[in-house]
Amino acid sequence: MDKTLILVVEDDLPVQNLITVTLKAEGYRYLTAQTGQAAVITAATHNPDIILLDLGLPDLDGVEVIRRVRSWSNVPIIVISARSEDPDKIDALDAGADDYLTKPFSVAELLARLRVTLRRLNTAAPDAAPSVFRNGALSIDYAAGCVSLDGEEIRLTPIEYKLLCLLSRNVGKVLTHKYITQNIWGDSLESSTASLRVFMATLRKKLTRSPDSPAYIQTHVGIGYRMVRVEENTE
Amino acid sequence: MRHFIKRASPLLDLALSLFFLTAATLLGTLFYRLDFSDSTIMMSYLLGVLMIAVGTSHRIYSLLCSVVSVLLFNYFFVDPRFSLQVLEPGYPVVFLALFVTSFITSTLAVRLKDAARQAEENAREREAAAIQIENERLRSTLLRAISHDLRTPLTSISGNASNLLSHGENFDEATRQSLYRSIYEDSLWLNHMVENLLASTRLENGEAKLSFSTEVLEDILEEAASHVRAFSPNHQIVVEAPAELILVRADARLIMQLLINLLNNAVKYTPEGSTVRITAEKRGGTAYVTVADNGPGVPDEDKPKIFDMFYTGDQSVSDGRRSLGFGLALCKTIVKAHGGEISVSDNIPHGAVFTFSLPAEEVPLNG
Repeated sequence: MDKTLILVVEDDLPVQNLITVTLKAEGYRYLTAQTGQAAVITAATHNPDIILLDLGLPDLDGVEVIRRVRSWSNVPIIVISARSEDPDKIDALDAGADDYLTKPFSVAELLARLRVTLRRLNTAAPDAAPSVFRNGALSIDYAAGCVSLDGEEIRLTPIEYKLLCLLSRNVGKVLTHKYITQNIWGDSLESSTASLRVFMATLRKKLTRSPDSPAYIQTHVGIGYRMVRVEENTE
Repeated sequence: MRHFIKRASPLLDLALSLFFLTAATLLGTLFYRLDFSDSTIMMSYLLGVLMIAVGTSHRIYSLLCSVVSVLLFNYFFVDPRFSLQVLEPGYPVVFLALFVTSFITSTLAVRLKDAARQAEENAREREAAAIQIENERLRSTLLRAISHDLRTPLTSISGNASNLLSHGENFDEATRQSLYRSIYEDSLWLNHMVENLLASTRLENGEAKLSFSTEVLEDILEEAASHVRAFSPNHQIVVEAPAELILVRADARLIMQLLINLLNNAVKYTPEGSTVRITAEKRGGTAYVTVADNGPGVPDEDKPKIFDMFYTGDQSVSDGRRSLGFGLALCKTIVKAHGGEISVSDNIPHGAVFTFSLPAEEVPLNG
């Protein structure tokens, strides 16, 4: 298989240098762009596997770049933001970004995000959505509407089931509170967001057999939730 | 009463005036029936005007009502009744006296009211000024300490980097590694400082800037712990999940920052291999979070001052950048902004325990 091609969109040269040196050391191929316009054009002409996108670009807002790329492509986009305030990240995720990194990030963190995204690319079946979803010991039979962990069925309330389906269909992606509440309750009122936190907490408890069992659902405080692909250890 | 003075509208004032005038007239009629003297009836009007002066928002009402009450008194109670005619020659003097008395009474009442309002306003202004002065003082202390705290790691970073650039090849591998490590650690420290600064600017503008939402406490504990774990591989950071679901109304970012500060503090002041344990419980309407370590603990003489701005504990540490005093002071500010308390106590057999409280929320369900 060809080496993965990553488009690095970053206007700050030292940071771009840091990223490209890291990518080179890990054996990834990469392209760079310093402006939003250039990023959109490069994405269209070179068809990269992953885009690393800085939100603070000189010409276009990063969120606008995501919208333009999303108009024709589903390429995974990992947003890099120096702004530690959450609303920017949430806007980017709502516009279609898959994941985010906050500056300053560690090299290990950057590589971990890339691996997660690659695994998602490799496991996602491009054709019709499968009727059974498997992730580690967790399996969801969408057709039968039942969920099992280690082969044992677990009982979920209708809302918990809907949440789990939503997360599993977007495995690897950070889903914002707003996105989830709009999908489940059809609104994003404060009360729905509060309920969401409670349902997620109980859902996570039900998916945790023992303290050392893998966490299927990651909480991103102030942002949202993500289902992570855990290493396949069964079957 | 104050409440309703503030809200008064012209319509309400007018209604109030009419009400008290009518009440005074009815009371006067009762006294008249009972054959009380004229002066008793006049007293009921005086009382009415006094009430109007206190109750209405503008003096024009009590002034007009003084005049109207004299006319009413004349019309209803002075022979010939039900006319404004006066037979007895002494009455105009009585009217004048009634008018003047009610006028003075109402003036005094209005003045009293104004004085009370003025006093209240003054107190508020003084309070605001005192807070502002305190804020200014804190800010300048903060700036001085920050520029010191920022310069120290910057000096080390730029110095070490320049050494490596200009004669890196002359150093042996171990020396180079130590220089690299110190650059890395100082940059982490700088980042930590910047996070604290961001948090404190958000606190500076009062509660309006905070974004409160209902959060699952365990999520915040877990995320803060995983953040600190990434940079502290030689310490065990354990989150003991509470048995029940605890919800708090909080600014999640600030509570994360608070926990990160407590955890970093624990990591910094305990030897490698120590364990830091985070626990949470709910008692009554309050959630309590503890961060406990098994290090040497906090000396008793430091305990009362540990949350003060820039208190550095061991003053003998030569490079002042171990002034985590800023971090703990920020912790206290964050807890206070959430209406909670923070304290430090001893762990058994040794170590420090930091405990803070937050108001807990009931579980809402919208399903």
